[in-house]
Amino acid sequence: MTSQEEQITRIRVTYAKGPSLRFIGHLDLQRLWERLLRRSGLPIRYSQGFNPRARLNLASALPLGVVSEAELLDFWLDEAVPVGAVAKTLSQNSLPGLEIKAVQSVSLREKALQEQMAASDYEIQFYDPQPQAELAEKVAALLAAKELPRVRRKKSYDLRPLILDVEVFIRGDGELGLRMRLNAAPSATGRPDEVLEALGFSNTEYLACRTGLILEGESAPLPS
Amino acid sequence: MPSSPSTSLSSKSEALFRRVERILPTVTKPGRYVGGELNQVVKPWESVQTHVALVFPDIYDLGQSNLGIALLYDILNAQEGVAAERAFSPWLDMETALRENDIPLYSLENKRALADFDILGISLPYETLYTNFLTILNLAHLPLRSADRDDSHPLIVAGGQSVFNPEPVAPFVDAFVIGEGEEAILDVVQAHQAWRQSGGSREALLAALAAIPGVYVPSLYEVAYQADGTVASVTPSHPNAALPVQKRITAKLPPPLTHFLVPNVEVVQERVSVEIMRGCTRGCRFCHAGMVNRPIRERPLDEILATLKAGLDQTGYEEVSLLSLSSSDYSQIIPLINGLRDLLQERQVNITLPSLRIESFTEDLMDELQSLSPGGGFTLAPEAGTERLRAVINKPISDEEFMATVRSVYQHGWNSIKLYFMIGHPQETLEDVAAIAELCKAVLNEGRRIVGGRARVHAGISTFIPKPHTPFQWVGFDSLESIQQKLDILHQGLHGAKVKMTWNNPESSLLESWLARGDRRLSDVILRAWQKGARFDAWSDQFNLSHWQDAFAEVGLDPDFYSHRARGLDEMLPWDHIQAGVKKSFLKTDYLWSLQGKIRSDCRGRCYSCGILSAYNELRLVAPDGGWKCP
Ligand code: SF4
Repeated sequence: MTSQEEQITRIRVTYAKGPSLRFIGHLDLQRLWERLLRRSGLPIRYSQGFNPRARLNLASALPLGVVSEAELLDFWLDEAVPVGAVAKTLSQNSLPGLEIKAVQSVSLREKALQEQMAASDYEIQFYDPQPQAELAEKVAALLAAKELPRVRRKKSYDLRPLILDVEVFIRGDGELGLRMRLNAAPSATGRPDEVLEALGFSNTEYLACRTGLILEGESAPLPS
Repeated sequence: MPSSPSTSLSSKSEALFRRVERILPTVTKPGRYVGGELNQVVKPWESVQTHVALVFPDIYDLGQSNLGIALLYDILNAQEGVAAERAFSPWLDMETALRENDIPLYSLENKRALADFDILGISLPYETLYTNFLTILNLAHLPLRSADRDDSHPLIVAGGQSVFNPEPVAPFVDAFVIGEGEEAILDVVQAHQAWRQSGGSREALLAALAAIPGVYVPSLYEVAYQADGTVASVTPSHPNAALPVQKRITAKLPPPLTHFLVPNVEVVQERVSVEIMRGCTRGCRFCHAGMVNRPIRERPLDEILATLKAGLDQTGYEEVSLLSLSSSDYSQIIPLINGLRDLLQERQVNITLPSLRIESFTEDLMDELQSLSPGGGFTLAPEAGTERLRAVINKPISDEEFMATVRSVYQHGWNSIKLYFMIGHPQETLEDVAAIAELCKAVLNEGRRIVGGRARVHAGISTFIPKPHTPFQWVGFDSLESIQQKLDILHQGLHGAKVKMTWNNPESSLLESWLARGDRRLSDVILRAWQKGARFDAWSDQFNLSHWQDAFAEVGLDPDFYSHRARGLDEMLPWDHIQAGVKKSFLKTDYLWSLQGKIRSDCRGRCYSCGILSAYNELRLVAPDGGWKCP
């Protein structure tokens, strides 16, 4: 390793994507991050080539319309910068709705974030109050099913193995909500809107929030 | 700028946006409809006296890049007591969703219904936005006609390049700002505030607005017509209504943008743009922008560079752009490019530099440009295929000069040249058209000789549309058959040659030719076409000529009267009461010169008394640092 390469640092950011960014898609979000990094003035590591781009790596695309409390992103620096300073400049240069929650330095040898993804946790808030018995019944039926054949983008697949857990819970405001853990392995990712549709809800009836990303090797109970 | 104690929306806004949020998952690109971008300004609703919604009647993706709107947003929000918010046209699926759910069109900042605003400032840079403008009024639940609105409704103010002929949309608009709006908009707001305090009638407000220089209140003018349909007279019905209405200009270029809003969804032209110069004195006879934006005022070099730097810092963009009608005419162009090169290296950004003129190319400039953007394409706009016709349109450049520039471009390392031409010019013959194809082939041959097989030529063909306030305002628009024949000639002429050709839909040009030189009666056609479903006329996949033809028939107006008819030189034109700075007598002389193929050279060397200096010399004298280029 040359001394220059020794300086390269891999930074992992945990951030929240708030309601005002709900309808900003994955590619747009990637561009927003590139700009945020440019504004931050950090010694960002760029890809080589005619049109250099900041090298960054988002763990998992968040479906359009979903907010999140815990997204993950990696980027690389050409020189070591204390993580506290990185966190500060990122926060200062961030945009409304994107909140920097944690910054850490991780090993350069780790696999790409996408490849480490194991599962995602979501919380569902219904716009209109739901009757408890009916909701609980629907959820029970869903979990009892052996197969949930569905079609997405003209491809048929089985939704059931993508659902690791679903439960009804009582939210802070006293209304019923749902918590779920869905598979997020690179080749088998479950989406909350697919689950909700299987439960009979259209995407105009609820707000979904991703509450956690679980990387492989991590084990976390579904938060309660 | 008052800082907002809380960014939470008022309960009224919240109720509206809760309903909006439910429909957003059902429409395409919902991120267009939510605002929330970096550097947007949200002032608490109750904290300001005057609420202005700046409206661009096309989708967010296009409108958000409009520098004019961005400047007004900046200027208004810098005022204590004033809040400017934004609204754009919803795309068709969102329009349907809003209607089905009975949700009014709302602003992106406070999510307030447009009807709650004091003033709607409508930007009309081109005529094909007129139907979208009606959609906006309708989705805002406002009566379309000014006469049907009262003081419970917002004031509808329109501005932009197309309203130098305001007449086709006059019945829908309460007041127009003719010319540059950066100062006039503040006068409009002030008049509105004074009116609110006085508790006067709506008529009193309109009269107060009419007294502001550059403001045209169409309801205060009576238009009478001759039996043949031409205008007989335009008569003010109020002492405050000026005749003519003299366009407003600023003595020097208004300060550049201080807050660069960064869109969250992808829009056209994501870059830091700075206007380096306003106006153009080349005097191309077809060019509306060149005539109505005089005089030339340049922005100082250091201000340009400082603005670009600040813009890059604020946005994180990877590209900068310089705006002007003719960038190579900027007097400090070489130092500017040098400054840009440093910026490019320091920040790793790209640069776009549109509107370079063949005449003003020097070898030096070419060297500098090449160092700025190696490779890529180079654009030249000869506009016509023969020297004769270029003299007619006053774009005098000889074939030799042109080919010398082409040679130099290829020699400097560019492989690809884009050439802009227009067909349908006055006095154009089929030989002139065939010459376009020959010229393109000659350029390609030159390229092959110099850079070999990598040489590329792209011909962009548009159709000439006679525009008001230009020396060609009297001539007829070519017929669709003739335009088609000319396009066929080009296709044949370029057949087998490796020249890429693109052209615009002649039917869209026909629509523009109706709207550009329309009178007040044409508003009925616009309304009728809109009722029939005309929307997004600027979008080739949405534009539908039959809506317009049917509308003409139903209203009982002859479309050819507006497009193909040549106007008499002594005819009173529907926009004669609007004074764009360049006098009608000057335009007439220039038109007569065109008939003789007589050239009028750039007036920075020699003033031809076009009318600008006589009308605005006092203004020029109060701002000696205004960068004027009139001698
Ligand atoms: S006043 Fe004279 S110099 Fe100025 S734009 Fe008109 S013709 Fe040109």
